[in-house]
Amino acid sequence: MIRRAAGIAGAGALLALVLIVQPWPELPQRVRVLVRTAPLELARRRLGGSGTAFDREYFVFLENARRRLPAGTRGVGLYGTPGTEPYTYLAGYVFAPRPVHLAPGALPEGWVGAIYGTARPPGVRILQDWGAGALAVESR
Amino acid sequence: MSLFLLSIARVGAVAAAASAFGWAASRAACPPGREFRAERVAWAWAIAAALISGLVPACFLAGIEPGWPGLFALGALAAALGWWFRVPEPAGPSSEAGAGRTGLAVACGAVVALGIALYLVRALTEPMWSNDYVAIWGLKGKTIHAAGTLPRHLFTDPAMAYSHPEYPLGLPFFYAGVAFLTGRWDDHAMALVFPIFQVATLFGLFGWLRRRGASRTVAGLAAAILACFEPLYSAFLTGMAEVPLSLGLLLFGSSLSDAIEGDPGALRRLAFASGLITATKNEGLFFAAAGCLLALAFGSARRWRCALAALPTALVVQTAHVLWRGRVPLRDFDFSTFSVERLGEALAAAARLPGAVGWTQLVLVGVLVAAGARAPESRWMLGLCACGMAAYLLLPVFAIRGPEWLVRAALPRTTAGLAPLAAAAVGARYARR
Repeated sequence: MIRRAAGIAGAGALLALVLIVQPWPELPQRVRVLVRTAPLELARRRLGGSGTAFDREYFVFLENARRRLPAGTRGVGLYGTPGTEPYTYLAGYVFAPRPVHLAPGALPEGWVGAIYGTARPPGVRILQDWGAGALAVESR
Repeated sequence: MSLFLLSIARVGAVAAAASAFGWAASRAACPPGREFRAERVAWAWAIAAALISGLVPACFLAGIEPGWPGLFALGALAAALGWWFRVPEPAGPSSEAGAGRTGLAVACGAVVALGIALYLVRALTEPMWSNDYVAIWGLKGKTIHAAGTLPRHLFTDPAMAYSHPEYPLGLPFFYAGVAFLTGRWDDHAMALVFPIFQVATLFGLFGWLRRRGASRTVAGLAAAILACFEPLYSAFLTGMAEVPLSLGLLLFGSSLSDAIEGDPGALRRLAFASGLITATKNEGLFFAAAGCLLALAFGSARRWRCALAALPTALVVQTAHVLWRGRVPLRDFDFSTFSVERLGEALAAAARLPGAVGWTQLVLVGVLVAAGARAPESRWMLGLCACGMAAYLLLPVFAIRGPEWLVRAALPRTTAGLAPLAAAAVGARYARR
């Protein structure tokens, strides 16, 4: 009987605790975000989300680059990024299924360079330039 | 809102169609009748997830594009096998306990519904975003879907090593399968499958506890606590493998316990769950081996049958991975780095992690275990939990980036994945048998 009472009290306390520590304050904000962003296109929803919070401009650049990639692009060389994990991971995900290499010395045949920022490295032929980024291939 | 709702409806339709096949196929695993109905929901979804996931490599091998014809063919085959090998109804009276305290049980049901609603909002707020989703599970799923094949560079390109080529492909194939069936890669609507995994887990937990003689109140309380367990059903873990694995571990643990007890169909359930967890995460193979050893050590008369059901399907799944992608070493570990200092560092970091609330929760679980009766069903599951905890605490010792890094990066979520198994183990101690 005592064991059962201890069990019920323990379970009740555990339930109360998991309810108390729920992230309640974020709930209304989540609902608002969901309602506000649901009509937007998928990329815009990601742009406003947690996964791009480290650098939203970077995601804009990646989306720009992805949409402008020439047909038949076999892989993407990424230039001008800090090269830290979030930058690498997000680029790999956005450009999938194409492999992404960080600042490769030379771009393999069929690969396109995606340059983040306004600097343009020498020895490349710019395919597209939109100020905050550019697509380039090796000058051969 | 309409575009997003349409995408959600598409994912829902895939889940519903696959679950219908899963329900029909589950005849081969679950006996008919009321006693098994709730658990069968969990098994139906587990089989559905396996069908969606298996559809992709099956179609690749057949040289056709994964899609609805493939799902219908695979689902019809699974349903036919379910009918052909259906489990007979068990003899003897039902072990389900009576109504119990109805008011409390209804209140628990309300809390369960609240927990599901909360996770639904958390999971669907934005496209799946966590680091491991973007770098590993989602990346591979998106790559497989967009390439229409399993590109070699996922396993051979050193620049892609961060995506952990050594991880199993069950979840990436599942994502790719959903995308092929919905006709698009929508990583926001696809998050819907995570609350579905949660619901299936809750049905599995409630149904198993009821079948093991727990009252509606006890089973409902266990389900209510689990439904609201935010460390597992969080926005962060949405997209990662812990939530699917936690369902697999619950099914594996419950069927191991059933198999040792000699329940009809339990060996098949054990074999299926063993393959499922191995296809989901690397530690799935570890849990299958741990279950096999537990059965051998303590399974009395049925030890060999249980051990033989627990491991071979896991080994088949593992072998299929090795054949497909080649042998890939574990990326984050170096097993020559063991030292007592590193072990101390890992344990100290783990002890700091839960904080006051976490420690209170762990103490309450301890009280519940101590206050409950000694039930054999509980013992198997607690044994599996203990094996899992020991492995999760020990592995950081071998982490290349240091024990503290792995403890902080992985321990909270990996141990949270044990929650359904632990809830079943604790709940079984309050069953009336």
